[in-house]
Amino acid sequence: MAEYVHPEVLVSTQWVADHANDPNVRIVESDEDVLLYEVGHIENAIKIDWQTDLQDQLIRDYIDKEKFEKLLSEKGISNDSTVVFYGDKSNWWACYAMWVFKLFGHENCLIMNGGRQKWIEEERPITKDVPNFPATDYKVSGTNDAIRAFRDDVVTHIGSGNPLIDVRSPKEFSGELLHMEAYPQEGALRGGHIPGADNVPWATAANEDGTFKSADDLQSIYMEGKGLKEGDDIIAYCRIGERSSHTWFVLTYLLGFKDVKNYDGSWTEWGNLVKAPIEK
Amino acid sequence: MTKIQEIIEAFEEADYQETLAMLLDYSESLPKLPEKYIEQRDAGFNRVPECETPVFVWIEISDGLVHIDADVPEESPTVRGFVSLLVDSFNGVTPQEVESAPLNLVHNLGLDQKLGTRRMFGLSAVYNRIKSEVKAASGIQ
Repeated sequence: MAEYVHPEVLVSTQWVADHANDPNVRIVESDEDVLLYEVGHIENAIKIDWQTDLQDQLIRDYIDKEKFEKLLSEKGISNDSTVVFYGDKSNWWACYAMWVFKLFGHENCLIMNGGRQKWIEEERPITKDVPNFPATDYKVSGTNDAIRAFRDDVVTHIGSGNPLIDVRSPKEFSGELLHMEAYPQEGALRGGHIPGADNVPWATAANEDGTFKSADDLQSIYMEGKGLKEGDDIIAYCRIGERSSHTWFVLTYLLGFKDVKNYDGSWTEWGNLVKAPIEK
Repeated sequence: MTKIQEIIEAFEEADYQETLAMLLDYSESLPKLPEKYIEQRDAGFNRVPECETPVFVWIEISDGLVHIDADVPEESPTVRGFVSLLVDSFNGVTPQEVESAPLNLVHNLGLDQKLGTRRMFGLSAVYNRIKSEVKAASGIQ
């Protein structure tokens, strides 16, 4: 039986319960539903919202270094905090938040396997109390651009014949749908996929209970199934770069690929780009 | 002033945290789905198809007034809160009052600005579905 390459980044619900009062640990909840944290969350969990906290509200980008420093300082996260992320939808948004933390070079990031769903199903306690940790003086020393692809990187990437994983639904991949079902405002003018991309919908990597699939299953999906091999330089994308951050996490930490980028422009950029090559 | 206008005014004055608190109150106060609809819900009837969250709505007009029953999972509090707000605003009013409610209610409530535009489609879909079903049930032309 295969093991995850970096099992240390995945912690159990029990581990989080045991560390809820550990001053070196900060628990972060990140959900698609902006109100879910308010319904109740793990003791001492901090809310970080992918849209209102992490994205710039004017231009299509993440917040800048200064805003990230301010956000984390206010939340009481310090440079040496171990941050454990969890959230709804099989940790889809937790992985997204972690990817943004990694963009800003935060060292110790963990994911609680199974996310919010597993915690609730195990009938573990939740609270409405919002923790108030002492402010810190968080400093970003540099950004980690090696995990982010821009459209020019994608052009070079496909020119070299490197693998791309499209994590959208099969209907979006084939071009039958111009947007994810039920998300029509995030559409594009053209349907299809980036030439050479393979389709592995993100949730293929998750079990019914929100946990990640086993290392054996993941190897058979991505390596035997799609031919990814050690040393590959891989770009993952979806529609706006959120579902693909789940796949970025799986490829980087569970399967151990060293060079995985998330293309956050994704289909809402590529499918609207004049003269960009498309396959159907 | 209609109830929905009063609610819009309250939301206009609310900041981000207050908006979340108001929506959470609504989410927690959605009346329980009447027993008679549970079987229909479990069989998948009366679901709003445009919304990714499972939202179920029953609309009746009796004695000329609107009556809405709805069900939304507690783990989807934003949608549940919004549906509860609609139930609260529209129960017991005339179909004409529902018909004349603002076209872009989500925007009037400021939810798109405060909670992020990427989350608003499901809410607009539920709203439009309720408006059009009230219209159909009451025979307004």
